[in-house]
Amino acid sequence: MDCDDGPGRRARGARGTVGGRFLTRRRYLGSLGVATSLGLAGCTTLTGGGTTTEKPTLADFRGSGPLVEDRPRPGGTPMADLPALSGELTVYLGGGEGGEYTELIELFERAYPDFDAHVRTDASSSLANTIIEETTGGGSPADVFFSVDAGSLGAVADAGATTPLPQNVLEPVSSTFESPDGDWVGVAGRARTIPYNTDTLSASDVPEHVRDVPSAPFADSMGWAPTYGAFQSFVTAMRLLDGPERTKQWLTAMNDQGVESYPNEFLVSNAVADGEIAAGFANHYYALRVKSSRPDAPIELAFTKNDAGALVNVAGAALVAGGQKQTLAANFVRHLLSAEAQEFFATVTFGYPVIAGVAPVGGLPTIDDLDPPALDLTALGDLQPTLDLMREVGVL
Amino acid sequence: MSTAARLGRLVRGAAGEGGDDALPLGLTLVSGAIAVAVLLPLLWLGFRAAAIGPARAWTLLTRPATVQILLNSLALVAAVTAGSVLVGVPLAVLTVQTDLPFRRFWTVAAALPLVVPSYLGAFAFVSAFGPHGVLADALAPVGIASLPRIYGFHGAVLVLTLFTYPYVFLTTRATLLSFDATLVEAARTLNHTRWGAFRRIVLPQLTPGIAAGALLVALYSLADFGTPAIMHYDVFTRVIFVEYHAMGREFAALVSLQLLSVTAVILALESRVSGGDRAAYVSGGARRPGRISLGRWRYPATAFAGAVAALCLAVPLGVFGFWLVHRSPGPGGFAFEWAFAWNSVSVAALAAGAAVLAALPVAYLSARYRSTVATLVDRATYVGYAVPGIVLGLALVYFGSSYAHVLYQTLPLLVFAYVVRFMPQAVGAIRSSVLQVDPALVEAARTLGHSPGAAFRRVVLPLIAPGVAAGAALVFLTTMKELPATLLLRPTGFDTFVTYIWQVQGAGYYGQAAVPALVLVGISALSMVLILAREGTDVE
Repeated sequence: MDCDDGPGRRARGARGTVGGRFLTRRRYLGSLGVATSLGLAGCTTLTGGGTTTEKPTLADFRGSGPLVEDRPRPGGTPMADLPALSGELTVYLGGGEGGEYTELIELFERAYPDFDAHVRTDASSSLANTIIEETTGGGSPADVFFSVDAGSLGAVADAGATTPLPQNVLEPVSSTFESPDGDWVGVAGRARTIPYNTDTLSASDVPEHVRDVPSAPFADSMGWAPTYGAFQSFVTAMRLLDGPERTKQWLTAMNDQGVESYPNEFLVSNAVADGEIAAGFANHYYALRVKSSRPDAPIELAFTKNDAGALVNVAGAALVAGGQKQTLAANFVRHLLSAEAQEFFATVTFGYPVIAGVAPVGGLPTIDDLDPPALDLTALGDLQPTLDLMREVGVL
Repeated sequence: MSTAARLGRLVRGAAGEGGDDALPLGLTLVSGAIAVAVLLPLLWLGFRAAAIGPARAWTLLTRPATVQILLNSLALVAAVTAGSVLVGVPLAVLTVQTDLPFRRFWTVAAALPLVVPSYLGAFAFVSAFGPHGVLADALAPVGIASLPRIYGFHGAVLVLTLFTYPYVFLTTRATLLSFDATLVEAARTLNHTRWGAFRRIVLPQLTPGIAAGALLVALYSLADFGTPAIMHYDVFTRVIFVEYHAMGREFAALVSLQLLSVTAVILALESRVSGGDRAAYVSGGARRPGRISLGRWRYPATAFAGAVAALCLAVPLGVFGFWLVHRSPGPGGFAFEWAFAWNSVSVAALAAGAAVLAALPVAYLSARYRSTVATLVDRATYVGYAVPGIVLGLALVYFGSSYAHVLYQTLPLLVFAYVVRFMPQAVGAIRSSVLQVDPALVEAARTLGHSPGAAFRRVVLPLIAPGVAAGAALVFLTTMKELPATLLLRPTGFDTFVTYIWQVQGAGYYGQAAVPALVLVGISALSMVLILAREGTDVE
């Protein structure tokens, strides 16, 4: 069945504006009509899903709340200086923040009436597996792979399923946050942190180095998410920086302290905020999410120095090999690096911007303050030795 | 059937029970083709696992961690299956055969937990009973400092049992509904006590129904990822999940094959349990048994049904409601739309229809004919049910993009995936109903000049209607909550309840998940009421 437009797009109905509400309502009524007349199509082209309201302004790209107030205008290349997006593009969007990233793509569609993105969301590794299987088979329908995890981008690139990005896309981004061969480019950073419960601990209780955490007094009340991709990237970083033996010792020491396992790092952060555990290992933005929904939650972030615990990983994008729309796809990735999109990543997803001129939200240290370890992010894609090691010590 | 064939049947009957029945060619071919179609995608596992090489494969499969996972999985399957029979069979007997007060209500309530996706159910349990959960906080002022630990083996068993026992409940119920009361009365006139009649007449006839439900429970608990993961319990699916997400497709395929070999053992076991009744002569439901009066037992019986419903329904609904009240300002770009409901319902209805159509020939063949081929065909359709959705999904991604480009990322391929995964639910329910139809009725219809098709339509179909309805309901409800294969195979932009819930929950916005979760349960409850109501009038 051929859908020009899908409910996913409808789902991204406009936000708070009056016009937006009207549109959402009309789409809702319209979609019921389609549902009864066309059966299962799930297509909304007839309802005028492509018609848009006024063009989005910077305020639309910006989040709200206390973390975001009083920010300066973002630097970098504004969308107005980029070629217009036009035509249809299939984007495979991998990762838990899908809901928010879809919102960004919706904003692009509002800005460019001729641009129509078909967005497919799933876990980043699932989509990476999908693209690899599709490429092994008859070719992938995807034009762009936009993923929250550099590891899955690296896996797709290793399988030969990407086309290198043009130089003008890679240019504004520091080489730390892109593949050496230009196969993918980072669009937003995510820092490893130790979220801790402020009722139980203070910032000074958290060791400065992650290697000292297992001997900290609160180590018997900690949580982690060993099946979670971000955690495995962290262990991979430790394996590459400190060697497998010391990594095994570290994991064993944590395990001996009775560290509690959770399915994902949001739940780790949530458990910290609930006081179920004193501290945990998680990406930085989960704690900010907990706080944005529960401003009084007793949770803060501690950062270690120049080790795996201070790793900054990225969400990024790659062009899928064999696509017919490479120019549009590359232009789309440039838009992800525009001033507006970077402001969006900083203020809506609480990620780290990757271009100069846009700062992370208040309360977060800058990337320079973070003191991340020197590590090629592409190497984080080499997960098998990490899993073997984690299994060997019994944490997987 | 020709006179010669009927003669052959008589001769074989006279010669005793040995040998296979002669299979009708057309029906066998159709059933065989269905079995091959649903097994074909699993070849992909072989392709991927073969890349590992035998030596490394052996090392991987025999290391202590892998063996431990095998043992954990087996323990979970055994405990959940036993628990489901202990909860499901009494509830079925109570709601069908006794004067339990508000039987209609309890019937629906007992079937409903099936509609709660286990990943939501498990999360609700942790939210309620976990350390610092809703319940723990509520009880703290009363002086109850800590609740028993919910994580681990017993937590996984509890939650999986509570959300899968309806399989046993529904299949047992379907069998009870098409049960012929005259048999019990005959036994009673032959001086059997009520208990004796139950043991010698009712129980043997219930066994295929119970076994069909227990099989579904066993395979479901083998293939479920969400509950063991949330309950911190290590099983096959967790390893498979970890490997897929670490791009280790080869090892994941190998572990999946190991999981499938466990499936084969379970299928063989179930065949032994219900195999003795295969093609047995069983009378059809001419008359319902009289209701057993519970008397004073009414109160504990109601308390039992109420306790199960409270755990299975009140806990998740309460937690969803709590999320709804305490919802956070969610991601603005992803508002819930009623179109998701329509997508969920219609794709689930298509899957239910397709699964029943595919299941009818298979179930009829295996119920009517004593034959190795018929048994193999029947068992083959169950394999897909034990395959974790992510495995089947990726297999179909490969086959779809390689050999069926036109169908790739379209609804027909998605519906096919649902049929592969959920068809055994329909096969089990229909087969146990067919077993209760007296073959003499079909032969009578044939002697009155009806074609085999017409005899099936006019005689068999009305009698097996409760089984068909139960099978369709099971497929419908499980399709509505299926997540991994839906994510991998849906048309781009096609969102349903579960993909929406997955999306907002993955981002940590549980409040946003509350509305669709409640609507999902609401719609499922409504369809369950309609199905059960219809089923009731058909029989009474």
